[in-house]
Amino acid sequence: MELLNNLLLGFQVALTLQNMWYCFIGVLLGTLIGVLPGIGPLATIAMLLPITFTLPPTASLIMLAGIYYGAQYGGSTTAILVNIPGESSAAVTVLDGYQMARRGRAGPALGIAALGSVFAGSFATLVIAVLAPPLSEVALKFGPAEYFSLMVVGLIGAVVLARGSVLKAIAMVCLGLLFGMIGTDVNSGVARFTLGIPELSDGMGFITLAMGIFGYCEIIINLEKGEAREVFTSRIGSLLPTWDDMKYAAPAIMRGTLIGSFLGILPGGGALLSSFAAYAIEKNVTGDKSREKFGEGNIRGVAAPESANNAGAQTSFIPMLTLGIPSNVIMAMMVGAMMIQGIAPGPQVMNERPQLFWGLIASMWVGNVMLVILNMPMIGLWVSLLKVPYRILYPCILVFCVIGVYSINNNAFDAILTALFGLFGYILVKVEAEPAPMLLGYILGPLMEENLRRAMLLARGDFFVFFQRPISATLLVISILLLVFVLLPNIRKKRDVAFEADD
Amino acid sequence: MQIKNGKDFWAGLMFMGFAAAFFIIARNYNMGTALRMGPSYFPSVLGGMLFFLGLATTVRSFFSKDEHSWRLFEFRPINFVAAVVIGAFAYWQAKWLQTNEWLQFAVVGASIVLFFSSFGQRSLWQLLAATLAFGYLLKPLGLIIATFLLVIGSGLISSESKMKEVVILAVALAIFAWLTFVVGLDQPFPVKPSFME
Repeated sequence: MELLNNLLLGFQVALTLQNMWYCFIGVLLGTLIGVLPGIGPLATIAMLLPITFTLPPTASLIMLAGIYYGAQYGGSTTAILVNIPGESSAAVTVLDGYQMARRGRAGPALGIAALGSVFAGSFATLVIAVLAPPLSEVALKFGPAEYFSLMVVGLIGAVVLARGSVLKAIAMVCLGLLFGMIGTDVNSGVARFTLGIPELSDGMGFITLAMGIFGYCEIIINLEKGEAREVFTSRIGSLLPTWDDMKYAAPAIMRGTLIGSFLGILPGGGALLSSFAAYAIEKNVTGDKSREKFGEGNIRGVAAPESANNAGAQTSFIPMLTLGIPSNVIMAMMVGAMMIQGIAPGPQVMNERPQLFWGLIASMWVGNVMLVILNMPMIGLWVSLLKVPYRILYPCILVFCVIGVYSINNNAFDAILTALFGLFGYILVKVEAEPAPMLLGYILGPLMEENLRRAMLLARGDFFVFFQRPISATLLVISILLLVFVLLPNIRKKRDVAFEADD
Repeated sequence: MQIKNGKDFWAGLMFMGFAAAFFIIARNYNMGTALRMGPSYFPSVLGGMLFFLGLATTVRSFFSKDEHSWRLFEFRPINFVAAVVIGAFAYWQAKWLQTNEWLQFAVVGASIVLFFSSFGQRSLWQLLAATLAFGYLLKPLGLIIATFLLVIGSGLISSESKMKEVVILAVALAIFAWLTFVVGLDQPFPVKPSFME
């Protein structure tokens, strides 16, 4: 009953004209940047963060959330029609989606992606509504030691998610934590690592960091690569999949939704991990032999990852909303958005600001409905957007980036800092060091230090406290297991390569 | 010994460099004890960790099975050295430079742009320089002209750009920026150039 009351409250907030408007803007922008390759939800949220300062907290969070799950819808359109993912989480959708389009079945592919997404989105919203309150209760009992260990799990999770070398990803986490130390130390008031630059005494500002490393760096890399894009221009046809298609894809949608909902909650999880896992699992489920093979236009290969990435995108809000710990970079941005509004993310948000909490959750339902309307009848509009060449697109992105950066403090220093991070991001791409764990570390750095200090004060300087308290010990064991887990497939992969060479 | 994986080699060096910088600067602050951690405690531990992770990455690069050249992108040492020399000069002579705003601007700007131009392709430093220019020009020239110049400056970077297209885009985006940020969102940007106020 309480759940219903809470959801009712949520809908009262989400269905106000103002919040519906911002929800609409969010999902519209999300679809837009999802469709356009070369700009993702990360850069977009970074660009819009300074603007959200002028909005009411609920409206700004609703809008930013809409960008994230909206991008999951848009990403599939590009994956299916252009053979490149509009969004990194649609990377596996490319495999079967584009093949379907080449066989004249672009319509059903787009249709099943949208239908699967809306089902997954609605289900995930329900998961959040059911799971969030008990988790908040648990989190309220957490002491500093538990929080510290929780953040360790979160950061190790980010390493698991990062592509490429685990070693470099852990190093990037450390670097991010160190970057987070720049600025005034809350305990002693000492200005740390500011190099005598007064603008740095409040820290580097994570908008400049995120914008430089994700926004700018992407433009630099894209300009270096030059343009190569082939739009599938033939008729899309009817978007509605046949009844036969629906029946065949339905179990895949169910599985994708469940996998996504589960993986989204895990530290380091989110849309990206969910879609990859869902596709991998779907490939191993024995299906109708008369159907196309995977990789040759099987509709399940579109339905499962597209449902999973949407579910994962939404359930990844759970750790952020209940524990105040971001599980991926986008959630780190959401934490930043809350802090801009003067809200400390954590378990107390649900009790202190029920309107914001339940309003945000209910808005996801509203947003998903809007997205189906935006994506099914208006698909033609998005397809025509794909024909905008990058040489027109990047100056537009750039204008938003620089004006956004400038508006944080109204000074030129932030522009210098962003440009420097743009260069840094470029170098990171070249040495193949994944920047996402760094940003997460940057957000968690000050929190981690604070909790470490408190835990040590309570335990009289005994480091074993982290292993003596059961919850904390469990969390640390989980992070060790995660590390072992991520190392195993690497070993296996290397052995596979060796075996292939033998053959 | 031969560097097998150039990417790991440089990544490791970069990590060690950052770690050393943070560790050395952290020595200026109070370390404290495990019970009462000073401002230097956590960063020093992290710096130490990062150093060893970087060392491991670099060492690994000599035995790696993935082979990458150690030349990852274009690098122009002359520009880099010039940037460092000018930057060091600006740092030592900061007091003297502050007496003349334009001189300071020119020296610091030259150092930063030279620094950017030592890496990657031409498009990299042009894009970053356009950003810096916008940051400095917004106040004296106002949002509309600064945006216009930004789009003209950055729009021509791509090899496929066409002058006519860029000019139209610049006009459109300048008006759009004014409508969105000043009229719509009420941001406190100067709209007109300062000499017209």
